[in-house]
Amino acid sequence: MSSLLSKITLTIAISSSLLLAACSSSQQQSGPSTVTLLTHDSFVVSETLIDQLKTETGITLKITTAGDAGAMVAGAILAAGSPSADAMFGIDNTLLTKAVDAQVFSSFTSKNLDSVIPELKKDTGNGVVTPIDYGDVCVNIDDAWFTKHKLAKPTALDQLTSLTYRDLLVVQDPATSSPGLAFMLATIAKYGDQWTKYWDKLNKNGVKVSGSWTDAYESEFSSNGGTYPLVVSYATSPPAEIVYAENPKPTKPSTSVLTDGCYRQVEFAGVLRGSGNEQAAQRVIDWLLSESVQADVPFSMFVFPARANTPLPEVFTKFAAKVSQPLQLPASDVNANLKNWLSKWGQVMGR
Amino acid sequence: MGAGDGPLNTPTWLRWVWVIPALFLIALLGVPLTNIFQRSFDVGTSFEIAPQVSIAFSAAGQALVSTVLATCIGLPIAGVLATHSFKGRAFTQALVTVPFVLPTVVIALAFRELLGSALAPGFLLVVIAHTYINLAVIVRIVGATWQQLDPRKVTVARSLGASPIRAFMTVTFPELKASISSAASVVFVFCFTSLGVVLVLGNSSTRTLESQILRETSLLLDFPTAAITALLQLVLVSCVLLLGARTSLKRTSAVPTLRFTRLRPASSKAQRSYVFVIATIACSLVLLPLLSLAYASLHNSAGWTLQWWSSLASVDSGTTRLGSPLGAIGTSLRYALLTGVVAGFVGVGAAIGVLTHRLGRAVALIALAPLGISAATLGLGLMLAYGRPPLDLRSSDVLIPIAHSIVAVPLVIAVVLPTLLATDRRFAIAASSLGASPTRAFFTAYGPILRIVMIAAGGLAACVSLGEFGAASFLTRSSDPTVPVQIVRLLQRPGEQSFGVACALAMVLVMGTIALVAGIDALGKKRWVR
Repeated sequence: MSSLLSKITLTIAISSSLLLAACSSSQQQSGPSTVTLLTHDSFVVSETLIDQLKTETGITLKITTAGDAGAMVAGAILAAGSPSADAMFGIDNTLLTKAVDAQVFSSFTSKNLDSVIPELKKDTGNGVVTPIDYGDVCVNIDDAWFTKHKLAKPTALDQLTSLTYRDLLVVQDPATSSPGLAFMLATIAKYGDQWTKYWDKLNKNGVKVSGSWTDAYESEFSSNGGTYPLVVSYATSPPAEIVYAENPKPTKPSTSVLTDGCYRQVEFAGVLRGSGNEQAAQRVIDWLLSESVQADVPFSMFVFPARANTPLPEVFTKFAAKVSQPLQLPASDVNANLKNWLSKWGQVMGR
Repeated sequence: MGAGDGPLNTPTWLRWVWVIPALFLIALLGVPLTNIFQRSFDVGTSFEIAPQVSIAFSAAGQALVSTVLATCIGLPIAGVLATHSFKGRAFTQALVTVPFVLPTVVIALAFRELLGSALAPGFLLVVIAHTYINLAVIVRIVGATWQQLDPRKVTVARSLGASPIRAFMTVTFPELKASISSAASVVFVFCFTSLGVVLVLGNSSTRTLESQILRETSLLLDFPTAAITALLQLVLVSCVLLLGARTSLKRTSAVPTLRFTRLRPASSKAQRSYVFVIATIACSLVLLPLLSLAYASLHNSAGWTLQWWSSLASVDSGTTRLGSPLGAIGTSLRYALLTGVVAGFVGVGAAIGVLTHRLGRAVALIALAPLGISAATLGLGLMLAYGRPPLDLRSSDVLIPIAHSIVAVPLVIAVVLPTLLATDRRFAIAASSLGASPTRAFFTAYGPILRIVMIAAGGLAACVSLGEFGAASFLTRSSDPTVPVQIVRLLQRPGEQSFGVACALAMVLVMGTIALVAGIDALGKKRWVR
């Protein structure tokens, strides 16, 4: 049995050395020139840009991810005042108010804020966050299906309740899916008090509700083998279809976007209160809004750069939908009513 | 009580074994949970509880049906695997374990591929998926005990004219009761606290408290209500586990007969065909959804292709989408190894503690608590306690294996404890009386069985780590993601490539798990025959 004993001893030795290593390494990394950026799983940036940041400012950027945007914000709120990172990227306009109220951020907006598209900087949570990118949640259309069935593609949200488009739309549950939530908010922004009536009609017209974007888009959408030719997704899904296609890439996407009734999501970044490394963290927010990072945003994350006049890749200019009149609700409205809206939606849809 | 109940001269140092799991639990469960609950009520104080109660009721119904199904299908499979040697036995046993460790997202997708639009999301689909996933729990936990029952008793009963069913009911079942109730309560708890399956395959009728906690935590950001819901779930789950443990903590009333027996080939033609049928059913049940996954990983809109497999290493290279899918495999293996070792030792420590000290039983019961703690609560609690200064463990890669170990320890205990309790103490007493030191005597009785169950339990823990997604997704990390996290990431973006590579990666996980489990089984068998 001495072998078992020695194994136990070995394990204790290994684990305690791991703990020691952990403590010492975290001390090394908390030097002033290292900034930890807390972000969600979908955050992507080219590595060359991080190297560039290092050469230009001496700042080493360390990225930590924390699940989806909701999980990230939840963690940040609970840790408000003694955060696990120096800056945070990826909080959107549906979650913003709660985080601002919980004093997650320090007062700071980037010096590059002037260059941001005006309508995106209407709400900066009273000067604590900087808009970095935006995207629109829209109904996507399987063009091939509509051609094959000799049916006109819908052009307005209103049409989706008509018999012509019966049993054709799949959406996501707003309680479990971020685009699903955005689409519900779009209908509230568009129809006001009448929004539950719209959903009632959608329900009677055979709308299908999926639990997640993945399920709706990858399984139910007719373009991917399902039976529904209309799906709630993003305005940038058609170009993404090309970028993430198999070689040789198709020359144009087989899907398009219904540009009426799109909900605009803006993603922000801010310096976390209590980080102890605020100045360097501020430089990182500036960097996120710099020309080179902004130009990298479309291909990396399939969203639009917040900085005005940023050149877009060709696949975007050609195939991403340009939404002229996106819908949006004030962050404080969403914060105050979300629970109520979700339960109303659940009642109407019988979920 | 059984004949093993003589005075056991336990070696002194072994009496203190319970301290190891106790410290583990205080530091890694007690501290984080105190942190999270405290913070939750700092942030706000108002909460509501009414909807949670009705959700708890419907979740209990769903879990009950799933548990009964999993037990009824799992028992014959466990019996065949535990008592007969046949060609492909190791493979079958490994295969049955696989669904349990696959990320639920992958299972949901596999069922989607398989059943198509035949079944709408809802109760039935959730129950089928839960049964599929939890077969492994029944087969492994009950099988671990079943393997060590003396087959001669059944032979005697049969030769006295008992039918196979009667022989099972009167001879085998009483000796298995403890492990069945232990396994069934674990399955019930898994189904009751299910998250991924419910989100993807469920509808309003299949909500669980766990999905409600997730919604309150990461969508409504209503922490007080989330905390109350988490506490409610913890209390309910603890009640179920106590109920299960009440049966399994009692030493089996029958005279313990646990010794090692060799597996024997089926002796009669009827037996041979029974083994064949059960094994075939087991394999096809498990394989059907997996094959549809394999098909998706080798197929694109144009036909057969190897492209998804060949791009496993290259997707997203040059960006901060941390690590390639290939890198994720390395990360997952590393975490699995650590989890296997840590959870193995802590869980076995807790089980030995039950044998050797009064307090050990309490510790073992508390160690089952993680089964009822929501992934969101655990993940956020660990992050608050150990994910920021002054004690920041994130950069060292141990936070996720720690979370995995906490999740896996209850399973290790569930595998180890019934077996240890049913082991014949008389060997220790005999060894003592022959002059062996207490330590020597203890390990004469328990050593061989400990080695086997420890390998089995450590392996199970490693498998849990391979498939865990919930808690890990709430923990901040700066290294490569684990395979399940990587799969979900890929699935969350459009394009044929994303889907194809995700399926290929899921297949890697499937094959890795089969290999791991088969390896562990082979290792266990080697010791056993000696």
